[in-house]
Amino acid sequence: MPEDSNLLLSMYKTMVKVRQFESMAGEYFAAGDIPGFIHLSIGQEGSSVGICSALRDDDYVATTHRGHGHMIAKGADLNKMVAELFGKATGYCKGKGGSMHIADFSIGILGANGVVAGGLPIITGAGLSIKYRKTDQVAVVFFGDGASNRGPVHEAMNMCAIWNLPVLFVVENNQWASTTPQTYSCSVGDLCTRAAGYGIPGVAVDGNDVLAVREAALEAVARARAGEGPTFIENKTYRIRGHFEGDPQKYRKEAEVKAWQDEKDPINRYTKLLTQKKLLNKTKIQTIWDEVKAELDAALDFAKSSPFPKPEDALNDLFSNPY
Amino acid sequence: MAIEIQVPKLGLTMEEATLVKWNFSAGQSVKKDEIVLVLETDKVTYEMPSPGDGVLAILAQGGTTIKVAEVVGYLAADEAEAASLGGGAAAAPAAEATPAAAAPAEAPKSAPAAPAASGGRVKSSPLARSMAAEHGLDLNAITGTGPGGRIVRADVLAVLEGGAQAAPAEAPAPTAPIQAKCGLLTVAEELPVSGVRKVVFKNMHQSLQEQAQLTLHTEVSAKEMIELRKKLNALAGDGPKISYNAIMIKAVAQAVKLHPRVNAATNGEVIQVWKEVHVGVAMDLGEGLIVPKVRDAETKSVVQINRELGELVEQAKAKTLMPDDLAAGTITVTNLGAWDIDHFTPIVNNPESAILGVGRIIDKPVVVDGQVCVAPMLALSLTIDHRIIDGAPGAAFLKTIKDMIEQPLLML
Amino acid sequence: MSERKISASAALAEALHDEMSQDESIYILGEDLTAHAGIFGQFKGLPEAFPGRILDTPISEMCIVGCGVGSALTGMRPIVDLHFSDFVTCAMDELCNQAAKIRYMFGGQVKLPMVVWCPDGAGLRAAAQHSQSLESWFVHTPGVKVVVPSEPADVKGLIKSAIRDDDPVMFFQHKRLFAKEGPVPEDKDFIIPLGQAAVKREGSDVSLLTYGSGYYLCAQAAEELAKDGIEAEVVDLRTLKPLDMDTVAQSIKKTYRAVIVHEACVTGGFGAELAARIQSELFDYLDAPVGRVGTKDVPIPFSPPLEDFVLPSVADVIEAAKAVAYR
Repeated sequence: MPEDSNLLLSMYKTMVKVRQFESMAGEYFAAGDIPGFIHLSIGQEGSSVGICSALRDDDYVATTHRGHGHMIAKGADLNKMVAELFGKATGYCKGKGGSMHIADFSIGILGANGVVAGGLPIITGAGLSIKYRKTDQVAVVFFGDGASNRGPVHEAMNMCAIWNLPVLFVVENNQWASTTPQTYSCSVGDLCTRAAGYGIPGVAVDGNDVLAVREAALEAVARARAGEGPTFIENKTYRIRGHFEGDPQKYRKEAEVKAWQDEKDPINRYTKLLTQKKLLNKTKIQTIWDEVKAELDAALDFAKSSPFPKPEDALNDLFSNPY
Repeated sequence: MAIEIQVPKLGLTMEEATLVKWNFSAGQSVKKDEIVLVLETDKVTYEMPSPGDGVLAILAQGGTTIKVAEVVGYLAADEAEAASLGGGAAAAPAAEATPAAAAPAEAPKSAPAAPAASGGRVKSSPLARSMAAEHGLDLNAITGTGPGGRIVRADVLAVLEGGAQAAPAEAPAPTAPIQAKCGLLTVAEELPVSGVRKVVFKNMHQSLQEQAQLTLHTEVSAKEMIELRKKLNALAGDGPKISYNAIMIKAVAQAVKLHPRVNAATNGEVIQVWKEVHVGVAMDLGEGLIVPKVRDAETKSVVQINRELGELVEQAKAKTLMPDDLAAGTITVTNLGAWDIDHFTPIVNNPESAILGVGRIIDKPVVVDGQVCVAPMLALSLTIDHRIIDGAPGAAFLKTIKDMIEQPLLML
Repeated sequence: MSERKISASAALAEALHDEMSQDESIYILGEDLTAHAGIFGQFKGLPEAFPGRILDTPISEMCIVGCGVGSALTGMRPIVDLHFSDFVTCAMDELCNQAAKIRYMFGGQVKLPMVVWCPDGAGLRAAAQHSQSLESWFVHTPGVKVVVPSEPADVKGLIKSAIRDDDPVMFFQHKRLFAKEGPVPEDKDFIIPLGQAAVKREGSDVSLLTYGSGYYLCAQAAEELAKDGIEAEVVDLRTLKPLDMDTVAQSIKKTYRAVIVHEACVTGGFGAELAARIQSELFDYLDAPVGRVGTKDVPIPFSPPLEDFVLPSVADVIEAAKAVAYR
């Protein structure tokens, strides 16, 4: 159990930040201010914040199409994130990536990925690079229960295992791969059991318990830094929103979603815990939510007032050594 | 049953012709022997009489190149049948400039063939086009040697370097400017280079390009020839008057018998001397130069030659000369006397090797036996291809003609 | 200039040796590399010279390329050996969705210096799945550069440029040409910049635009054509992306005719792209339609008479050249 109350509160604030960011994104998407389509991680803040709380700035993270939470938890700049979602020139990717392809290499985020399981081969390379350069960084890849069925997962887990690479495989088992339930698409209920096939440790964690996630992450990170190789962590959680914003969600019952809200909600649970620990009270909670809202409002103002990229900028940034 | 309108073979050598125009629109009634369409080969223009009565259905549009025996239209029993046969695409009479493809001759019952671009289109490579534009050349006047007649760089270069003659243009209006626009020139009239003009274009240029021409001049006394003509005319009674040309043709043909090597042609490798003497006579009936032939002139009398010449003139005026009438000459006579011309430099009718230019007959003071007297004098100009005929033999040939004119008995 | 002649394999190994000596971030990974110094012996001497920098991988093409991508993003300069170019299919996502797009879709935040080395081509009776020439797939993918060298000196000069380049480069080297020898400068600084074609034979009558194994067909065809009085100019494109259109244009402005020769199958091959550019950029200089010579549109068959039949030949090049030269 972490004792540092500042850290505990900071994790709380980060979870609130992810939640408010995602809620904001949903609203602005519905209002038509965000082009394309977005995938929200509401209800999965325990996983993103719990894992990233165990990481250093120079550690690597490869994330997914549902990656806002990982970005924020790793310390991304809200201004640049909102601006990117709005397609503005001041966004992380100058409007070229959008929600699904967002990255911040300055804090080790090797990118969200529009291809399910696309991050696993890349994180293997990052792990190899760490080992080659003999640093003690670690490399974390987030993916979902849907992604866990793809071929690259097999290749990456095997390769990281044989080379003992400092990699954390974090599967966020949110029960739904788009419209397909995990119980249908996966041959086992506990995805962590697959780790055994590669000879690496696999643990299942209550993904909505942020401290439990953090604890598992700390252990895995320690192993990785010590050169003991990869760990497979399964954060059991739930996708509260549809696969994408606007998803009619005919494939599941509202009651199922309800059951994962309120008492099972990771923020509610953590609020309760920190309140019991006397680290939070109503006023303090309000203050934190207000502070986050103010930060987000500022980011919204920044994004709204930012220009769109010039159309011809579409031709830039293809090559480092253009011709 | 509809009557086919088929392109006739106009002589032995013809393979194709240009359908210049229809004189009737599709759907119009045409009577037998009315001139239904105009054809043009590289030698003649032929006004084709209708093969029967009927309502016209048109398959091939004006401007199209037609193969011999191709069906270009029908004379149908009524308008409905005409429409079903291809009268749908009504061509305005005299729609000469519109190039269009010929419909397949063996598909009269099918839907009317839409005019497709092929007949009149000049195929050329992009490079050839830009070169032609740069040098102000008319692509229509260049012969393509590439696949499907495509004009390629080599063809344009050949024209630019003068190595090849420009082929007949199909379209009346050149696409490239003939002269730089300077504001000082206005086009008053534009004439198509087609038909007879096209042939003249080609032949004259080719002749001067290929041959080494030398013109010899002399003057002869026409006194005895005038006498001969008077006697023959008196004998002829009401028959056609004997023309000087007939006598000139006879003189030339007889002279050839004494100088057979002037009756020759060459391909650059061999010189072929002909057995026959087919004397061409240059005629201009207003639409350009044509040269019908008097066959085997050396075997014919002046009277016979005169009669044939008369027939050829009539046929030329009626535009009924066949390509074969114009082909295969061996030597030519051209007469500009009617325009008060004395000497000139005729251009050999390639691939022949000699041409005699005949001037006017005019009374002149001449010296005979030391005395100045007046005599009817005639200027003769003989152009020879020096590649085949040297100066002296050429002069000897001319001298023989002179002798025959001055002493017509020698022609016997 | 050096007249030293070495094989294309040796030229590759020499260039890699030079580059790896100068830059510690360069490493090579792929299947079966150390046991035989590459399955074609193309890395001869490197495993001994650079222990730990020639990495054998499991048979995991997705992850091999993914490793290249991930390590390039984090400071390395990987050279990925794909074993046979045919296996790009197994790693298409990593090549085309990841490597090609990462820099662009992340707004130019990062560079991705990676060489994907692909032994390609037919003629070894290796049949359909080990004989392809797939370069045009990658020309069609914005974000990767495509290099297809022919002669040993080109291999050396271009692999060095590819390694030093900060972008993903697909490097296709023909299997049948590994043993082919040619003069190669010993100079460690000998490089051939990407995007620079070479006029390897001057001529005035037709431009033979080619690359890779096609170069040797064209060189031979040009000698034959000369006997018939047709002087062919042989332009070795060397890199397809970036493409040296200037050299192509100069040549066509001289010859007015072009035949594109490559071993890839004709339909949708690079020749289609090049022909399109020639017609749009050099239309007025063309005296004939652009000719194309390539493999017939079937997978590469096994049996020698079958394979020989579908592959382009010197005779095909001669015929195409004569057709556009109107001879």
